[in-house]
Amino acid sequence: MSWSRAEVLALATKAARGAGAPAAQAALFGEAAALHLGQGRAAADLAQALDHLPGGLIMDFPLQLQSLLLSAGETRTCTVEMATAGLPTLAQSYLDTLPHGCRVNAMSETSLGVTLDLTAPARSLPLVRAAECDGLMARMTELAARTFVPESDASRRAGAGAGLTDND
Amino acid sequence: MKDFVAPPQEPLRPPDTVMRLSRMGSMFPTRLAFLRTLTRFLASDGAEVRRHVWQICTEGYGHAVYCIELGGYSYSLVAVSTALDPAARTDRVIATAWDSSYVLYDGVPDAEEIARICAAAPRQEAARFTERDLVLSRANKSVRLFAHVVERLRAGEQPDQQMVQDIGYLMRTTAVYGNGKFGIADRACIDTRPGLSGPFMAEMLTVWLIRHFTHDLVEHVGQGRLDRDLKRHLGIGNSTGLGMAPFLVTHPVLLNNWMLARETALARVRAVRQLDDAARTRLMALATRAGNHLDQWHVPDPAHQARIDRLRADWHLFRAGLTPEELGRARAVDRLIERSLQHSEDLQELTVALVIEVFPDLVDGLSECMADPCGALSLPLANTEALRAVVERSFGWALAPQYEAAEACRQFWYVSAAKQEPRLGDRFAEEGAALESPLDIGRRIKALHADLPAAAVSLMRFLQDHPQHLLAAERAAMADRYPYAEIRDNLIGESCLPIDMLRCKLSFFGASKFDPKSDRWTRITLCQGAPLADELSARGDDWWLPVFGA
Repeated sequence: MSWSRAEVLALATKAARGAGAPAAQAALFGEAAALHLGQGRAAADLAQALDHLPGGLIMDFPLQLQSLLLSAGETRTCTVEMATAGLPTLAQSYLDTLPHGCRVNAMSETSLGVTLDLTAPARSLPLVRAAECDGLMARMTELAARTFVPESDASRRAGAGAGLTDND
Repeated sequence: MKDFVAPPQEPLRPPDTVMRLSRMGSMFPTRLAFLRTLTRFLASDGAEVRRHVWQICTEGYGHAVYCIELGGYSYSLVAVSTALDPAARTDRVIATAWDSSYVLYDGVPDAEEIARICAAAPRQEAARFTERDLVLSRANKSVRLFAHVVERLRAGEQPDQQMVQDIGYLMRTTAVYGNGKFGIADRACIDTRPGLSGPFMAEMLTVWLIRHFTHDLVEHVGQGRLDRDLKRHLGIGNSTGLGMAPFLVTHPVLLNNWMLARETALARVRAVRQLDDAARTRLMALATRAGNHLDQWHVPDPAHQARIDRLRADWHLFRAGLTPEELGRARAVDRLIERSLQHSEDLQELTVALVIEVFPDLVDGLSECMADPCGALSLPLANTEALRAVVERSFGWALAPQYEAAEACRQFWYVSAAKQEPRLGDRFAEEGAALESPLDIGRRIKALHADLPAAAVSLMRFLQDHPQHLLAAERAAMADRYPYAEIRDNLIGESCLPIDMLRCKLSFFGASKFDPKSDRWTRITLCQGAPLADELSARGDDWWLPVFGA
């Protein structure tokens, strides 16, 4: 089974929220997850990141991204070292979602050497559907379900604001 | 290459004026609406619709395939018509069966692909689709009108004109899914293709083709031909609920780009110093057309009908002032907009749509600025003092409410477990507020502001201590670059009416004849008056606020 990028993005965002991430961190994880699977990178990275909540990469890396953008903002380009919480490929996926030119110069288990150039466009990555990740998708579906509100009489009556038949 | 010189323009209307729910809920479609952009492209591209397959029985059930070449690519609408138990006919997302279902396909499907789609499309959300499927949709009949038209055509007669005018469509779509839903292609697969690069273009193409299919279907079952003018007035209905409202909050760059294009169009036409004869004549004719359109806009809901009646009366008075002498004065458009400010927001926004309609050369190019090809380009703010300054400068609307008061936080947005669709609940009467969706931007901005330290610290330091404020910090950082990105109202207050968000978004699609069924659910009509497939070049782009019988 294959999944569209939008499906992965939406599900991963909800899964991160369900696992305890705040809204913005969850949304950034969703974008990174969609790109990560679309580039054929390891689904296990995403499961591991979700398992690390309420800490780990999902919480730390968005703040590092903010710091990276701020650093580059002063001179339009910068080179920095970023911590990866043991998930360097997923960290690269976060960087690949930026709308600017970004290059990974060095990668180790715990850090990335990164050059960001605000004057350059992001590199174009092929759009490939996510596949062979059914286990992760099932896990993320479970986590996402934690954010859903069960139906009640009130929600059935008024939640959508519409009647139940439309024979007119 | 010629240098581009932007036309002169007046100042943009401030976001504090434009981005209010009540004004967004008063919007009318303009020539920047996506359906208008699509039909202009179809005409300029010389697009032709070809009926490739027609396997429909005499009762109207079976499947059909229509093909169209657009911008060098082939697309096909696969339409599946099925018998439906009336007890199952609901426009809500809880439905599991529909009168018809559709897939816009990338290319021309072979027999195997047609068979696959015919099996999957009627199941909609319960099925899986592929990257060749670009849009998924379904529609229910207007039972009264469809049956009436069939009956009349079988008798060798045309349908009752009043009925066609009052209902205005043979079927209404109840969902038009794009961008990857249920496995269909991501928007990124097609967003650089000619004709489909603008927002919702594939969805609009689908809707326009579905309308074409409904005409063919009723003529097939009725065994007769509809009068061309009646057919052109038969658009495609749409039933829309809360599901589309959060989109405007979760896509701030896109919302900004839509509103900025529209406001820039207005600013450009306000800067026109002198109307020539043709523009004066055109403006007066369109104002008359708008009045006639209002005269033909009837809805069952008494409160909304009263609002339409007020607008109709005000418009006829307002229009009386549109004399050749008045329009011959300097800066006539700007004066007209100024004069509209003495009236309701409904009338003001109708006037905005009117004046934009007159100037295609100043406006139509802006349709190319309405997508969001790369996401937010704003940079974070450096420290908490910069954050405080932006919040206090641009988010007064967010700081004003006392969110702990019941009336300021009564509603909460959530996602239902049953259909995984957005819903709105009463925080004090229903369970589930702990699982609230993060659409409460105003409250989040105020909470961030309350936690800002007295002495400046770096943004990183602040967010390390308050990670829950990252969303608000991101939205604040967007304020200068994307001034129309936020709905400047409290979206969890008890006075928040989601119908206002729906009308804003639907007006950008090109919807007219809004027919609210509640404060969170509306029916609309799309493509009414739009060119039929065989008259794209002949009739062109002149179908703003269509009038029956004109």
